[in-house]
Amino acid sequence: MNRIKNSFNGLTVVKVLIYAFFGLFMLLPLLSVFVVSFTGEPTNLLGSLTDPAIFNSTLEKFKNISLDNYKRIFSGKGYFSALKNSLALAFTVTIIIILVCIPLAYGIARTKMPFKKTISALCMIPLIVPTFISAYAFIIMFGRAGWVTQIYNALGGEGMLLNPYSMAGVVAVQVFFFFPYALWPLVAAFKVSDISLEEASQNLGAKNWFTFIFVTFPLALPGVISSALLIFTVSFSDFGSPIVLAPKELNLLVVEAYREISGFFNWGGAAILTVVMVIVAAFFFYLQHLYTKGKNYGSVSGKPKQQKLIENKLLTRVLSGYSLFVVLIPLLAMLSVALQSVATTWGKDLLPSGYTLNHYKTIFSTSMGNIQNSIMLATGALVLSVIIATFVSYFVVRQNSAKLDFIASIPLVVPGIAFGIALIQTFNTMPLQLTGTAVLLIIAYTIRRLPYMVRSTMGSMRAIKQDIEEAAVNLGATPLTAAITIVGPLMLPGIAAGSVLVFITVIKEASVSILLAPPEWAPMSLAIFQNILRAEYYSAAAMSVVLVVLVLVLQGIANIIGKKQRL
Amino acid sequence: MGSVKIKNMTKTFGDFTALHDINLDIEEGEFFALLGPSGCGKTTTMRCIAGFENPTSGSIYIGNREVEKIPANRRNCGMVFQSYALFPHMNVFENVAYSLNIKQLNASNPIKQMGIYARLLTKRFGKYPDDLKKKVMEILEYVELENHAERLTSELSGGQQQRVALARALVMEPAVLLMDEPLSNLDQKLRHSMRNTIRTIQQDLGITTIFVTHDQEEAMSMADRVAVMDKGQIVQIGTPTELYSNPSTPFIANFVGTSNILKGTVEGEENGFTVVKGEGFLLRSSTKAKKKEVDVIIRPEHVKVEAADSVIDHATTNVIEGTVIMSTYLGSIVRYDVQVGSYQLVVDTTYSSGANIFEEGKKVKLTVDHERVLLI
Ligand SMILES: Nc1ncnc2c1ncn2[C@@H]1O[C@H](COP(=O)(O)OP(=O)(O)OP(=O)(O)O)[C@@H](O)[C@H]1O
Ligand SMILES: [Mg+2]
Repeated sequence: MNRIKNSFNGLTVVKVLIYAFFGLFMLLPLLSVFVVSFTGEPTNLLGSLTDPAIFNSTLEKFKNISLDNYKRIFSGKGYFSALKNSLALAFTVTIIIILVCIPLAYGIARTKMPFKKTISALCMIPLIVPTFISAYAFIIMFGRAGWVTQIYNALGGEGMLLNPYSMAGVVAVQVFFFFPYALWPLVAAFKVSDISLEEASQNLGAKNWFTFIFVTFPLALPGVISSALLIFTVSFSDFGSPIVLAPKELNLLVVEAYREISGFFNWGGAAILTVVMVIVAAFFFYLQHLYTKGKNYGSVSGKPKQQKLIENKLLTRVLSGYSLFVVLIPLLAMLSVALQSVATTWGKDLLPSGYTLNHYKTIFSTSMGNIQNSIMLATGALVLSVIIATFVSYFVVRQNSAKLDFIASIPLVVPGIAFGIALIQTFNTMPLQLTGTAVLLIIAYTIRRLPYMVRSTMGSMRAIKQDIEEAAVNLGATPLTAAITIVGPLMLPGIAAGSVLVFITVIKEASVSILLAPPEWAPMSLAIFQNILRAEYYSAAAMSVVLVVLVLVLQGIANIIGKKQRL
Repeated sequence: MGSVKIKNMTKTFGDFTALHDINLDIEEGEFFALLGPSGCGKTTTMRCIAGFENPTSGSIYIGNREVEKIPANRRNCGMVFQSYALFPHMNVFENVAYSLNIKQLNASNPIKQMGIYARLLTKRFGKYPDDLKKKVMEILEYVELENHAERLTSELSGGQQQRVALARALVMEPAVLLMDEPLSNLDQKLRHSMRNTIRTIQQDLGITTIFVTHDQEEAMSMADRVAVMDKGQIVQIGTPTELYSNPSTPFIANFVGTSNILKGTVEGEENGFTVVKGEGFLLRSSTKAKKKEVDVIIRPEHVKVEAADSVIDHATTNVIEGTVIMSTYLGSIVRYDVQVGSYQLVVDTTYSSGANIFEEGKKVKLTVDHERVLLI
């Protein structure tokens, strides 16, 4: 596609640099984790290329390649039960979420239930809150001294209504904070499925519930399955809630991998767990991709037929009550965190014994550094991803580089904790010793969130027709000047929207932060996590509120930009 | 200003030959049209001239200069894109000023360049120098858009956008003006008035213009000369009247206006006329035939319809007998479809009020002068 003749060769250099970036910081770490999972000890692949001594020792290690680790996972109790538990968790969460979402989605898509707007708006909350904060909120609510527990006991219940420190606790958090991922696709599926068939069924005298079970639901089934696969991947890869809630005796892959690396420096063990995680996550992601490909259930082609919304009083009221209950729990969870952040002490009674702003004072005096770190790290990741994503979209859109498109979407399937482990292993020795530096942290954030950015910039790049660029060149501009004065400004809305998204997700990011951040670069998420571990709940609460507010503000900005973009 | 010469240009995409051995010689100040059906390579030819494609072989000269090594941004070809390709984030003024800004940018030191970039990127910073402003406003006046300078291009009608695109190309005083189907996005009425506008401006400025179209009427009414292309090759080059009266192939005869095309065999010569015989007709033509099996071309308006019993002198004109199949009244003309042997001929006759129209099923005599029967 050498359409623009004499394109500056600088572009080729940039392309090589981008490949080198992905190769060095994504493919190499994943490859070396794979190798370590066989050798069982750290293997310095990069060093082998630069230093003959390391090369020889690597060769030695290659001779010791064995399937021992893999045998362990299928025979030994520890790893195998971790895999089993993780799959069970993801499976349970998926089933429950789908069951929870079907009435909710039906209510939003097909009925005139009361409070529909409020319910839809409240569904945003779970998406804003990082899961380690939600998990912690559940401790405030359902823990031994939690207010829900107190109400439960006052009503005559024994012990705890729900023990947050258990598999059930993890499941509950994930259900209430991941359900929106399934909800919106399901709403779309219910909206799109062919209404005339339902009408036909009703004309034949079928009852409403009969129509739903045998006509409406089967029509929405593709949407249901695809959402289920998505939820499965999300739940399986989630690190925030298990790390806060999973008790010692509950083995989960993500927690186990984290403990192997941060507690025991067991490289082989961490590597094998990482490989298993990546394979499972990639497999389900692939299934989902395969399933949605060509189905296109969510997008409406042409004008959808205007549907009549159901007005049946009893049905809409029941649905509305149920939906309010579902969306109220995340809201209450966040309010609990907010309340704790201004409480002097809370636990003896239903409400705090007094109120104070001291916790905020404390974090703004002692933990300002964490806030700054978060912002600086997120800014760094943002700048890096803007640059990379812009060029990646240029190469993908203008030069049809399918390879780059594929590579840039790999991070979607690698769980954060797995990627973190891969990076630590690869860069903890010479020649490129980056573990424990802010640079590696920024690179990790960048790669993890790049797919969002690329999607955003690629959208705006596609919208710029080739001939607009050519017109600029025709009017005398060099390709570079045309890029700066025409392509750049036209891509700006896409870049801005993607930037906010990257910024938000980096601030929310738990797994990579916890694994990779050095003490002097500890971001807010790590500080909150450590506070929770140290049982400093009040500071954790105040910091969480600051984080959520920051995210909310940014989300607001993103929405405004998004509206402007659709001129 | 400059002439454009293309020598033996070929362009292939993979193993598909889009252009095959193109030769063009366009004079300075000429209005030259490239005419041909969709996919024949018109746009590709133009893109090669503008520098967006490299010819696979052959060479292009603009103003007697070989341009192979000159990149697109320094060829000084003003191009009007089919889609107009206006910059959507700039208003009319900024669109037109773009090339002048770029020209200044290239002639300035780095510090001044920052200022120019500033005014290219934002509306607030960077003042336009007066001479630049004046030049832009002049050209906007010229295309009657001086009152729309501050409008966004998305707020303009199709015809106005078209004129912005034209102004934007003209303001850089290009050596050649390239227009790729500039009128195809406009409605019928506007298309007619824009034809005049473009032609007037071209004459006014005396700018060498290459105009791509697949609409023969457009090409014939506007251009000094027309090159008819088909399947990546140039079939004939000539003035509109040459093409019309002397098409070199049946393809052109059909593409440039309507034609009746009959298959005939040359029987011999008689009194300096070539005698051709076909299914249901025997004709004499003043064309010298080059081969035995020929295509006989007769334009609908060169045929007259007479009553079957009228007496006509065979020595001065051809007479063919036929049956009217259909007559269509088109205002000033009447169009007949007449069955002659196995052919249906189209005949256009001027209609004067009071004259009678031959009804369907009526036997008639058709007359065509010898010099109006073309053999190719
Ligand atoms: N970049 C390309 N790669 C491959 N084939 C191409 C390319 N550009 C043009 N072609 C092919 O070359 C042929 C000529 O294309 P061109 O755009 O010049 O046609 P055109 O005469 O302008 O047609 P239209 O009237 O439809 O605009 C077409 O068959 C087209 O498919
Ligand atoms: Mg074309």
